[in-house]
Amino acid sequence: MRARFARRKFSGLAPLGLALTAVLAGCQKANPPMDTLAPKSDFANWIYGLFVEVTAWDLFILLIVVVAFVLAVFVFSRRDGEAEAASTVHTDMRLELAWTLGPAFILLMISIPTIRTIFREELPAPPANSLKVSVIAHQWWWEFRYPGTSIVTANELHIPEHRPIWVSLRTADVIHSFWVPALGGKRDVIPGQINHLWFIANTPGEYYGQCAEFCGDSHANMRFRVFVDTPEQFAAWEKNQEAGPVQPASGTAAAKGAAIFANSPCTACHTITGVSKGYIGPNLTHIATRTTIAGAIMKNDPKDLKAWIENPDALKPGANMPTLGLRGPELDNLVAYLESLK
Amino acid sequence: MAAQPKPIPAEYPSYLKGDPIGWLNTIDHKRVAVLYGVSALLFMVLGGIEALLIRIQLFEPNNKFLSAHAYNQVFTMHGTTMIFLVVMPLLLGAAANFIVPLQIGARDVAFPRINALSFWIFLSGAAFLHMGWFWHHGGLPDAGWFGYANLTERQYTPGMAIDFWDIGLLILGISTVLTGLNFFTTIVTMRAPGMTYMRMPMFVWSILITSILILLAFPPLTVGLIFLFMDRFFGTHYYQAVAGATPILWQHLFWLFGHPEVYIMALPAFGMISELLPTFSRKPLFGYPMMVYSVILIAFLSYGVWGHHMFATGMGPVADATFAITSMLIAIPTGIKIFSWIATVWGGSLRMTTAFYFALGFIIEFTIGGLSGIMHASVPIDLQQTDSYFVVAHFHYVLFGGVMFAILGSFYYWWPKVTGRMLNEKLGKLQFWLTVIGFNGTFFPMHFLGTWGMPRRIYTYGAGMGWTFWNQFETVSAFILGLAFLIMFINLLTSLFNGEIAPADPWDGRTLEWSMPSPPPAFNFVTIPEVHARDAFWARKYGSTGSRASQAPAVAGDPPNTEAAEHIHMPEPSFFPIVLAGGLLLCGLGMVVAWWRLIMAGGAIIFLSIIGMAFQYPTFGQKTHETEAASGGGGEDLRKVGVWAFIGSESVFFATLIATFMVYKSRNLGGPGANVLEIPLTSFSTFILLMSSLLMVLALAATQRGDRVWQRVWLCGTVIFGLIFLGDQAYEFTSLYGHGLGFTTDLFSQCFFTLVGFHGAHVAIGVIWLSVLLVASFMDRLPKSRALSVELAGLYWHFVDIVWVVIFTLVYLMQKVKGA
Repeated sequence: MRARFARRKFSGLAPLGLALTAVLAGCQKANPPMDTLAPKSDFANWIYGLFVEVTAWDLFILLIVVVAFVLAVFVFSRRDGEAEAASTVHTDMRLELAWTLGPAFILLMISIPTIRTIFREELPAPPANSLKVSVIAHQWWWEFRYPGTSIVTANELHIPEHRPIWVSLRTADVIHSFWVPALGGKRDVIPGQINHLWFIANTPGEYYGQCAEFCGDSHANMRFRVFVDTPEQFAAWEKNQEAGPVQPASGTAAAKGAAIFANSPCTACHTITGVSKGYIGPNLTHIATRTTIAGAIMKNDPKDLKAWIENPDALKPGANMPTLGLRGPELDNLVAYLESLK
Repeated sequence: MAAQPKPIPAEYPSYLKGDPIGWLNTIDHKRVAVLYGVSALLFMVLGGIEALLIRIQLFEPNNKFLSAHAYNQVFTMHGTTMIFLVVMPLLLGAAANFIVPLQIGARDVAFPRINALSFWIFLSGAAFLHMGWFWHHGGLPDAGWFGYANLTERQYTPGMAIDFWDIGLLILGISTVLTGLNFFTTIVTMRAPGMTYMRMPMFVWSILITSILILLAFPPLTVGLIFLFMDRFFGTHYYQAVAGATPILWQHLFWLFGHPEVYIMALPAFGMISELLPTFSRKPLFGYPMMVYSVILIAFLSYGVWGHHMFATGMGPVADATFAITSMLIAIPTGIKIFSWIATVWGGSLRMTTAFYFALGFIIEFTIGGLSGIMHASVPIDLQQTDSYFVVAHFHYVLFGGVMFAILGSFYYWWPKVTGRMLNEKLGKLQFWLTVIGFNGTFFPMHFLGTWGMPRRIYTYGAGMGWTFWNQFETVSAFILGLAFLIMFINLLTSLFNGEIAPADPWDGRTLEWSMPSPPPAFNFVTIPEVHARDAFWARKYGSTGSRASQAPAVAGDPPNTEAAEHIHMPEPSFFPIVLAGGLLLCGLGMVVAWWRLIMAGGAIIFLSIIGMAFQYPTFGQKTHETEAASGGGGEDLRKVGVWAFIGSESVFFATLIATFMVYKSRNLGGPGANVLEIPLTSFSTFILLMSSLLMVLALAATQRGDRVWQRVWLCGTVIFGLIFLGDQAYEFTSLYGHGLGFTTDLFSQCFFTLVGFHGAHVAIGVIWLSVLLVASFMDRLPKSRALSVELAGLYWHFVDIVWVVIFTLVYLMQKVKGA
């Protein structure tokens, strides 16, 4: 099926499109992390193929228009403007028929693979052997759950390679849009409705995603990462996530931080399994396993985490997380505790 | 129509001459057009500054130039301003308003007072959008120009900004619909004798189709904004995911308006290009009939493609595939237009003016925008590109590279006719090249940024994203583009004071506007011209063969006929439009600040101005340009055409309300629902309303017979039956409330009360209208000769009755059948 699809590309035009995309890609030394032209899943691949094909047709049409335009303006016209026009022809049945039927044919050539891809990409039910992932979008961060397990994490999604991923999308507030360019097209996350998306990632790696539907003040700060793991890595990650939180050894800064956390307002919004049951903010049970914080806008290291807790609104305008006024050693201990939660 | 080459006599002063106060109460289409043009240019400066603020903010990663909240306001207002306050008023308010009556050989538009009213309402709507600035809890709107629900709900965007946006757009919508109504009626009824549809200039065609688009596309937006208003003020749940409602409703309503809106902007631009290219190529437009059919087809298809804005919302594969195909189909008529334009230039004798430069630039830039549009019609590609900078590139190529290039070209083309001065060509060409460089430099790299995954509407981005270089490139280019506009403004201003005096026909034009002096006199034509061919003025100059060898070009100008000029009755100026628009502003402001005294005051001003305007209306007994023009065109009375056009627009309004009701009825969760409706009572009101239609027919018949006694009896009967219907409805609402069905009880009740309530309001307006006629009848001012006044009220009344029959069937009867 896939081979047939690839062969159907117009052999004469495809190189044109490929050339353009190569130019596009070549302009950058390294691939931009959100590049749509570096597909890493079958879904993204289908779109890429279609993009190359349509780009080729577009360039072909543009070429015709530009050539006709240049001929009309620079070759077959007089420039004196006062003399009589060389021609007063204002109708030509054959020409008009040609530029009606020609584009119609091209559109037919575009619409066939388009419709095939639509039906391939929008399935009514999860494909066999798929891993189900539940995404809940919040202003302005992403919550990821794995139905059938106790795993709840935020802003960093782990999935195994070469296995269909069936993503269910829900939102806690307004409309958002889930988009990981390397893994395929976006899908809006809409209140009162569960949307789906599926793909098979084919290359392990770390991919950037971002909310693509304007969702309020910090829309720009609603980013996330997807880690495509080998099956072994994924199994190890899954096992760690399902375990309870790390208990800090008593007397350490982390242990002091644990006490601070347990008695702070943090518990109202954040869950650490066995410690607190807040659900408004991200689950922190394994926060130290994540590479980023605050909607993937900052690195997950003590410095950034400290800056974040000190004044969330300055880093993510409109963020729901309040400034708690934690300072000095208190804050250091809290950060030490959070960074111990592997 | 032998044109005698004689100078224009000085006794016809230009429309620009006269008392400065005359700009406030003017109803001359040319002055109204100038008012529109000047305001739109001021808003263009504002929108341009907003664009530059966006570009400065995106110049580098993690820029702190604007806060997130400020940036969101700036991009929202940039879009809203450019679309509603710049492009539409320039195309319709200024260009079409000025040019269409001249091109069809009319003295003014069909309803000059309503035309002035459109402008003042537009201005108050524009002011309204910006009013939040002055309130502590206000600020400018910040939810994007398409303001997706449920972000716009009070829960997520508190404060007054969205209220100002919502009501501001409603006010602007009123203005636009009035304009559409006016142009539609003007073009249908007021064409000069001999100007058949297939002889109309292409610009007139495009405005005719645009007017139809406006009439049929704005009602869904109006309904959508009313729902938003109700959600924010009355606590309904049209766009909240509670009780079965869905925010997707807004997207359907908005794009049902929004995609035709694209063509409301593009079609007039197409029309302009179709005027500019033939003039400067000295050739007739290639494939005129196909050009006309393409415009009609584009307009028709534009109603079936709104879903392509929603591919990412998960409509399902069948809907996606359908919308993909309808969207692609639009490329066919668009392709026809592009190739026909090139063929128009082909073999011509080109005069390389600035206007022509912009028209030629349009062809290439617009083609690029059209081609990226084909990509978006391919759903899977769109899933990558939508809401990324690729889309931003696409619609700027269409709206700037297309529409704005056409507007700039038209500026250079029609400026001499409007002001009587030429623009400087050297500065013009400098502006053109800076525009081409700045425009492509700003927007072409957005294709790259989009394919590299940069989402739109982000106020900041990280340093490692690979987007920095092209963003910086774009910012620099945007300033070049700004420089181009600065040069334009310098050119405009110096031309006004020092420009070369423009002859009547500087471009050797083809259409009738070039047959009159620059600037034209207030009444346009001394005698209404007769039209014998397409390109009417060209044919008059060179004979219909178009061969210039046959005849030396005649000097432009109507044959002076002083006697005829003295008999031209132009309608009197009026202050009611500006007063009414002020009332609307007060009314809207009262709603936002929830101060009912202000609402009442505004409402009273609106009501009194409408009554004042109705009685000032020139056709009420006077012979004017309107009755004169009725001999040309389609021969239909223009008021009748106007009312039909209004009814067409109203039908879409009710259809939208009914469709929403039907969809939400089936999604209703809990609540008493339809079971509390009382069929016997409503059947009685339905009977009464149908009978009132019968009485209305009898009243009209009596008027046409000149029978004053029965005229009064039947009119009185109609009013009484209307009142009985309203009384029944009041009783019904009270009793429903008693049964626990309040406005916000559930999804069914809010849709029910909105739909039936709006119908009731229409009945009430009809009752007021008929009462005014009844008073006129008792004052013996409704003789046989004014039977049309009764007929028009009758048309409206029958329409309201028919809507009720539909509502009664769908809301009451079908509900019961389903329940049983």
